[in-house]
Amino acid sequence: MASPTPNCMRHAMLSFRQSTSSSLRSTLLRRSSHLSSPILLRSTRGYATTADPDPVPAASEIDFEQFTVQPARVIPASPAYFSGSPKFIDHLLNLESICARYASLPTVAPGDAPRMAWFKLAQFRDFVGESVPTKKYKNLVKILHRLNRIDQAMVPMEVRDTLKTFLRPGNPYGLKPAPATVDDMGRARGRGKRKTSSAVVHLVEGEGDVLINGKTLVDAFPRLHDRESATWPLRCTSRLDKYNVWANVRGGGVTGQAEAVTLALARALLVHEPALKPLLRKAGAITVDARRVERKKPGHVKARKMPAWVKR
Amino acid sequence: MVSSFCWSCLTRLRSTPRALLPPSVTAPRAAASFHTSSARYALPTKKKNSLDGPPKYREAKSARMKKKKPTDRPRPPPVGERRTLRKRIVLSNPNALEVEGMQDISAETMVDSRLRGSILGLPIPMIAQLRAVQAFKPTQGWSIFRRPGTVVRRETLELGRLIDRISSDGEDKGKAVKKIVTGARGTGKTVHLLQAMAMAFTKKWVVVTVPEPQDLVIANTGYASLSDENPHVYVQNEVTAALLSRTVSANEEVLKKLHVSQPHPDLKSSIKPGMTLEALAKLGIQDPAAAWSVFGALWTELTATSPASGFEKNFNSRPPMLVAVDGLAHWMRNSAYKSAEFEPVHAHDLVFVNHFLSLLKPGSKQSTLPNGGILLYATSASNSPTEYGFEVALKQVAARQAGVKESSPEFPQADPYLRADQRVIDAFNSPKSSVAKEGSVELQTLGGLTREEARGFLEYFARSGLLQENINDEWVGEKWSLAGGGVIGELERLGRRLRTVA
Repeated sequence: MASPTPNCMRHAMLSFRQSTSSSLRSTLLRRSSHLSSPILLRSTRGYATTADPDPVPAASEIDFEQFTVQPARVIPASPAYFSGSPKFIDHLLNLESICARYASLPTVAPGDAPRMAWFKLAQFRDFVGESVPTKKYKNLVKILHRLNRIDQAMVPMEVRDTLKTFLRPGNPYGLKPAPATVDDMGRARGRGKRKTSSAVVHLVEGEGDVLINGKTLVDAFPRLHDRESATWPLRCTSRLDKYNVWANVRGGGVTGQAEAVTLALARALLVHEPALKPLLRKAGAITVDARRVERKKPGHVKARKMPAWVKR
Repeated sequence: MVSSFCWSCLTRLRSTPRALLPPSVTAPRAAASFHTSSARYALPTKKKNSLDGPPKYREAKSARMKKKKPTDRPRPPPVGERRTLRKRIVLSNPNALEVEGMQDISAETMVDSRLRGSILGLPIPMIAQLRAVQAFKPTQGWSIFRRPGTVVRRETLELGRLIDRISSDGEDKGKAVKKIVTGARGTGKTVHLLQAMAMAFTKKWVVVTVPEPQDLVIANTGYASLSDENPHVYVQNEVTAALLSRTVSANEEVLKKLHVSQPHPDLKSSIKPGMTLEALAKLGIQDPAAAWSVFGALWTELTATSPASGFEKNFNSRPPMLVAVDGLAHWMRNSAYKSAEFEPVHAHDLVFVNHFLSLLKPGSKQSTLPNGGILLYATSASNSPTEYGFEVALKQVAARQAGVKESSPEFPQADPYLRADQRVIDAFNSPKSSVAKEGSVELQTLGGLTREEARGFLEYFARSGLLQENINDEWVGEKWSLAGGGVIGELERLGRRLRTVA
């Protein structure tokens, strides 16, 4: 370890102080017993104004109950002090030991375990005050997951408390927006974006009419491919003749508008039928394509293109 | 004694002439670094010599251009060939399957509502007539089926019943119906006209068509003042002759049975008594200079209800007429023709155009089509100039049809700042006719097919071997939505995208 963090030093000092206060008496004893050494003698001579003529009193009886071996140097609090990330390793070892102790408890499937908001890596680094590598933290989280899988009915208090120390403050998974509902007119609303287009779709039950910006599908999208991609969420769930679509799209080009409608329509459809989510996910209708046009850079002709090489 | 010092070896050592030479101006900057060894030991650059061989004296030193050999470029096709290829109409595809049980348009089938949503073929003998009036357009996809056929939709059945009522003895006999057909792109306006023509031919009507109104106003044909009395009215002789030719070749059978029954002072010299109307029309084809007066005479004959005195011999009553114009908007603006003052000539000043537009107005004493008939004027959505006055005029027609009074505030008026063409608005401003048999102008807007009609249409594709899909309601509903609510042109495009099931 090249430079111990201030935290480590603090710990070391603390442990030193504790050890000194607890064994003050024995230290004094040792000092008096060592008086016969020449260096000490010389120093006493130099500073002592009056030489004690009395004979040295006999040492008191050694109390072996109190006797501890006094180390010659400061002993760090954690055995992992010199590893560089002692607190992390302490946590890890603690968790591993708990894990080993309660390995026999019944577990549930990972999906059934309660959802826990563990520290993010940066937060954990702040928490322990050490630069923990990503991979090592991931391993720690694995152990947390394993402990979290213990059946809720028989989780020991120790495990519960230990896991609680690794949770993010607040309740990140409790702040969910209220699920959208169909309004009193039977309309579901969905919004979607793609490239620079943004679409708002109102979906009502109907018989398959599509109006986009007040125009029919053919007028809005002359290209068949765009028409197909705009109505894709309804088509892949074979509900094209069960809903009427009323969409407003702004910005971007024709393809972007069509795919913005796709996303908005899929979200609106999920309001009507939330059970379609896996199907739509598989069809690629609710996956957001967050790509945007890459900005142009100075010195480049476009975002990446460089000017042609010219000799001289 | 031979020296151990070999001169040839010495000469092989590279001399250092570069260091002795004055530094060249064009030396690269990069070579002027601290180390010079790489530059000194670099291989001498090969002297660039573009002309191999010894220097050439006594020869021209200027760059010599090689003479280009004239390449054999394919000659452009002869004049008009590309146009004929472009305008070629293929009505049959021998690779397509014959659809079994397909009925033809006939007097019975055109009013049969059970056939709604099915495909009615055009009778083979009628195809020549339809070709003559240029009812087919090259982009309509006739060439993918074994034989031409059209879908019976709701509007088709209504039209069939109307034609049937006008022809047969009944309350509506001899009625004149005036319709303007509009609709979005690909909704079947032109095919609606085609169906009307086919039905009119089955009922032995006289069919007069203007398949391309644009050709009249783009100044591709000659024009002249009609007469000295009215120099601002122009006549186009070749176009009129072409119209006569279309009319004669399509209605030959009907016109042969009709005879001249009216006096025609303009054509007194050439008209013989007892002449058939076919022969009369052919006068105009042979002599385009007289085409317009011949057309006028033919029109008078066809709209005659009774013979003039002295012409009573073999007078047959005139059949009803179908007048079809496709792509009306081109007639609603200035044409490309110029007057003698080099002012643009308004399309309504062309006597040909004016005649067909005046048919929309109610006749003064009798109906414009006294023997009955239908005026069917269609707009085009793919080839139409934007004309604000025309848009307003159509809105006004729709409002009048809905019973909105012209004085009411709901009646659509032209925005005074948008300079609507008043002539255009006036052309469609036809008050109710005093003649009971003459209807006023109606606006008919074509939309998409219903799902059942769309299903029949797509089944026709499947039975022709073009589609290899299971045609069920779900699949049809999906295509119906993709086609913008059953727009038939889009349905046809979806149907012809052949997908083979691997």
